[in-house]
Amino acid sequence: MKTREELQAIRERAKAALAVRGSEGGIRVVIAMGTCGIAAGARETLSALIEELAQRGISDVTVSQTGCKGLCDKEPVVEVHLPSGQVITYGGVTPPVMRRIVAEQIVNGQIVSQYVIGTETEAC
Amino acid sequence: MVAQGKCTECTQIEAAIDAIIEQKGPEPTSLIEILHAVQQELGFLPQSVQEYIAEKLNMPAGTVEGVVSFYTFFTTVPRGRHVIKVCQGTACYVRGGKRVLEAVVKHCGCGVGQTSEDRRFSVDIVRCLGACGLSPIMTVDDDIYERVKPTKIADILGKYD
Amino acid sequence: MRAYRSHVLVCSGAGCLSSGSQAVADALERSLEEQGLSQEVKVVRTGCMGACDLGPVAVVYPEGVFYQKLTPEDAELVVVEHLLKGRPVDRLMYVPPEGEEPALSMDQIPFFSLQYKIALRNCGEIDPGNIEEYIARDGYEALAKALTEMTPQQVIEVVKASGLRGRGGAGFPTGLKWELTARSTETPRYVVCNADEGDPGAFMDRSVLEGDPHSIIEAMTIAGYAIGSNKGYVYVRAEYPLAIERLSAAVAQAHDYGLLGEDLFSSGHSFDLELRMGAGAFVCGEETALMASIEGRRGEPRPRPPFPAQSGLFGKPTLLNNVETYANIPPILLRGAEWFSSIGTETSKGTKVFALAGHVNNTGLVEVPMGTPLGTVIYEIGGGIRNRRKFKAAQSGGPSGGCIPAEYLNVAVDYESLKKLGSIMGSGGLIVMDDTTCMVDLARFFLEFVQEESCGKCTPCRIGTKRMLEILERLCAGEGREGDIELLEELGEQISATSLCGLGQTAPNPVLSTIRYFRDEYEEHIRDRHCRAGTCSEIMKAPCEHACPAGVDVPAYVSLIAEGRMDDAYAVIRAANPFPSACGRVCIAYCEDHCRRGQTDEPVAIRLLKRAAADHRSGTWRPELEPKRHRKVAVIGAGPAGLTAADDLVRKGYDVTVFEREDVPGGMMRLGIPAYRLPHDVLQREIQEILDLGVELCTGVTFGRDVTLEDLQRDGYEAVFLAVGCPEGMKLDCPGAEAEGVVDAVQFLRDLALYREPKLGQRVAVIGGGDTAIDSARSALRLGADEVHLVYRRTLDEMPAHPKEIEEAAHEGIQFHFLAAPKEVLVEDGRVAGLVCQRMTLGDFDRSGRRRPVPVEGAEFTLDVETVIPAIGQQIETTYLDEEVEKGKVRVDRRTLSTSLPHVFAGGDCTAGPMTVVDAIADGHRAAQAIHSYLSGEPMPRPKKRAKTRVPEEVLIQLEERAEEEQPAAKPQRIPDAYRCRGFAEVELGFSFPVACREASRCLHCDYVPLEQDED
Repeated sequence: MKTREELQAIRERAKAALAVRGSEGGIRVVIAMGTCGIAAGARETLSALIEELAQRGISDVTVSQTGCKGLCDKEPVVEVHLPSGQVITYGGVTPPVMRRIVAEQIVNGQIVSQYVIGTETEAC
Repeated sequence: MVAQGKCTECTQIEAAIDAIIEQKGPEPTSLIEILHAVQQELGFLPQSVQEYIAEKLNMPAGTVEGVVSFYTFFTTVPRGRHVIKVCQGTACYVRGGKRVLEAVVKHCGCGVGQTSEDRRFSVDIVRCLGACGLSPIMTVDDDIYERVKPTKIADILGKYD
Repeated sequence: MRAYRSHVLVCSGAGCLSSGSQAVADALERSLEEQGLSQEVKVVRTGCMGACDLGPVAVVYPEGVFYQKLTPEDAELVVVEHLLKGRPVDRLMYVPPEGEEPALSMDQIPFFSLQYKIALRNCGEIDPGNIEEYIARDGYEALAKALTEMTPQQVIEVVKASGLRGRGGAGFPTGLKWELTARSTETPRYVVCNADEGDPGAFMDRSVLEGDPHSIIEAMTIAGYAIGSNKGYVYVRAEYPLAIERLSAAVAQAHDYGLLGEDLFSSGHSFDLELRMGAGAFVCGEETALMASIEGRRGEPRPRPPFPAQSGLFGKPTLLNNVETYANIPPILLRGAEWFSSIGTETSKGTKVFALAGHVNNTGLVEVPMGTPLGTVIYEIGGGIRNRRKFKAAQSGGPSGGCIPAEYLNVAVDYESLKKLGSIMGSGGLIVMDDTTCMVDLARFFLEFVQEESCGKCTPCRIGTKRMLEILERLCAGEGREGDIELLEELGEQISATSLCGLGQTAPNPVLSTIRYFRDEYEEHIRDRHCRAGTCSEIMKAPCEHACPAGVDVPAYVSLIAEGRMDDAYAVIRAANPFPSACGRVCIAYCEDHCRRGQTDEPVAIRLLKRAAADHRSGTWRPELEPKRHRKVAVIGAGPAGLTAADDLVRKGYDVTVFEREDVPGGMMRLGIPAYRLPHDVLQREIQEILDLGVELCTGVTFGRDVTLEDLQRDGYEAVFLAVGCPEGMKLDCPGAEAEGVVDAVQFLRDLALYREPKLGQRVAVIGGGDTAIDSARSALRLGADEVHLVYRRTLDEMPAHPKEIEEAAHEGIQFHFLAAPKEVLVEDGRVAGLVCQRMTLGDFDRSGRRRPVPVEGAEFTLDVETVIPAIGQQIETTYLDEEVEKGKVRVDRRTLSTSLPHVFAGGDCTAGPMTVVDAIADGHRAAQAIHSYLSGEPMPRPKKRAKTRVPEEVLIQLEERAEEEQPAAKPQRIPDAYRCRGFAEVELGFSFPVACREASRCLHCDYVPLEQDED
């Protein structure tokens, strides 16, 4: 990298990519995949998510991973980013819970209250 | 093993070690990296392998042995097919890690640092895996088990043959 | 599509429909229409929400407020209050079972809202495998700024001005370290990141490496520019494979994007990074050992100086910082030194990441400004202690640190304050411990750790810690000797002073700090062979029997009950406890609290098993009596302490006379505990059995008035045991306290027990949070009061009453007012006309680790009541022995219960304030022992270790199988609610014979050990 402008260009591109992901009606599901998350079964949760989406033929959901949010006790932690900018953070997401979240939250738009840690609105 | 009348197996092992040394760089400063990789490949670091590495790095065999014996990750004896590591960090300890370890030792019939008679399991303790939020923790090979209860040990270990 | 401001989702699943959700939805729509909100708020009938037992349920979005058990009337309230006025209706909101506040959004959850994230800013926010997500959040901008706008000296100045100090533990000023390394004339220089996070319980470095690896790469590159280095090493411990994988991938990506390598940002500065993996040696976290390990050698420390800044890696100047320190660098450069130094305390700037673990509800990583009180971290962010237990201590700084006890929960956490308390900040591991953690065992754990991790190079560390460990192991096994504590202290000080590196110098800290704050626990291990936490298994037969103050052999009688041998079981209990029936009903059951089965599902119902043994025994129990000694002992007070002492002494052959002030014996068991918990006839039978052994009872005799010490001496009593209790209730201290209708709780319960119908109004307020308060409230209800209020100045969590009693009280309809204190009793015509209560809030922590209630100025409310029953504490009646009384209690040596008069002993409530029945029984035993020792000249015996039970291996295997099946405890039957509010019938019923046998067989037998070979 030779100039700050290059870095700036990448930044704009990356921000735009993140923003688009939100605004085009797609839901983004982010799974916390730190050591705690994986220890608590985040890998199994991820497979359950991918399977369930495939089975239902849902293609406009982006799946990504992140590190540890710090709330180890509630792992596996999964965030669902809605197009509205609302983010629902779920805790204790075992594969059956993940399937419920797909069915109820992603398909039906109903929060699975039982497993919600909290909600927030994205600042973008 | 490396002295005379090399068997094919020995030649293969040497070739593997050579490749690792080549990749990590044949300098004494790479020793620990090389030992990690060789142990990954062979499962353990017997005397003969240590000597071979020493020769290749042009350093006294005693130095290699000193390093191997210093670090608990290195082992000079073959391990079981599965390595169990029970965390004995503070968080795991206060949340019952000691009793998990007792249950594992009882189940495997061998002590810490040892391998069960049927070579199925080796039992190690580890000082904090950094997953204290989910203590007590243990690992079997690459699988991590959280909030382990002594009563669940048989179930968990039953999955490994 | 119309945009609605809010949506109300009403569950229309089968469960909620059957509980009436249709009517609720209709009511909501109707009410919205009435309020003119139907264009703004939409009611949506949804499928099952899965909370059928809470139905009908509804959720209001966007807030996501979850309402439960709604009625159509509630629906109107939700519309008017929440949707119109924006005030969620707390009363209807779902409260999670742990008693947490209903969660609205992240910024209202203390775990998130009280944190301030700098080092962890990206963790859990970005995909660590994607460099562009890092860049999107201003990643590498600080590097660009440094390389294109700043000189190396300017970078160092900013870091210095920020006040950042090393987060690895020692707290050395980071900027100064950078400057010292930069000043060195030798080249090449190296930048090293210490990611050998070895302190057990600390995992923030792992989280940063896994969750935000680029922040470390960026910071090290900046550091390279600042000190003139082109090469960096990250030393990661091998226990973190995922961190190694993520960091390696990030390094490769940074290379691809030209953010590592040659001529970065055309500045001429080049930088490259290599990873080095540790191999499981704790000492490698020490900087000189770490560098030896990077060089491929044994990780042994060497003395400093020279410091790494002059001669470090490969003998060259080296800058060594920890992961968290580096993670702070990019934000400091971007937002400025002033911003950073505005956070934190005078000497400790910025934030600190803590790894919360142990017995705390929210375990995890938290980042808070320096100076945040410890109590805030544990209680507000951490959500308090698991299972409503009591906080005992927090351990910070790992094996080099120390413990902070409950009395310091207010401490503002920074480098200096922790040091003052004998601990250290360390890398930020914060292990929270409750009362099940034994501090001696904890010290032993840490010593074992250092002992194993000591590299062996220097003698104090290698041999000294071994000696300390041997002493601690001996203490934990109940083999401690007098003088061991002093020996530990002496050894510890010497090891600290003479060890070569930090590991050895700090190794004694966990021992010295636990001795400093928990010396009494060390002493108990030595003198009483007692581990109050129930942790040290070698000292005890089983945790249950060890926890029983009366010393009942719990595992023995539980086994007998499992076999259906009720008479034998009763004999085992009765040998150590003269009140099996009473304790089977009202004992606080410390045994169940320590029962290991509780870790699988639920503790064995030991208390009710004791009752079952008493209920189902067939005959009377007759002990062997020792031959008569013809020596007279007087016991004053026929409560549990006095009668226990009498029972023990008469069996030892003494002639015992018990003098009782009231007309009936039993003390507080008879006069304090209401009959619905302990029927009078049940208690009377047990007392009669004691009397039948030959104890003489004189009732209606007031000590100090009807009989004095001199009288007793004259009548030939050689020893006296004072167990007079503290039968006087504390007086309410507020205006109106003298009005008619203010009834002292102790007096009220006593009148009730003696069938002198106390006069009550229809509306009653009880003040207090202990068992007496609950007993008074439930009794008032039974006497026909329409409304009973209970006013307590703290919250449910701090209530000293037994949780089961609180639950029953709530079930029976007692109305609780937490955080409220009496301010004034309103008086009309000399009679109570109401109680004005002051609203309280919880302030800082008191010495017991509970938060102090403080008044909320101007917030008061009035309870319309006719009777006020203060239950705010008890005191002794001070008409005798004035010289022995101090602060309302008889002064005794707690170990021997002796007073300053050689032949007078005292125990029970009058020496320590109100205690539980079983604690009073324990005092009775102790007094009997002391009196026997005084009269016979034999020394007080040191408590013996009760032997474990040796069984064949097969039995243990069977037990293990038993342990695998989850099987909750049997529950006793209770009389129907309808019978509770009229009369004093016993509420809880015992187990039937077969249920008792089955329940007893849930015991996991912690007392069993395999037969030894030679015994086979």
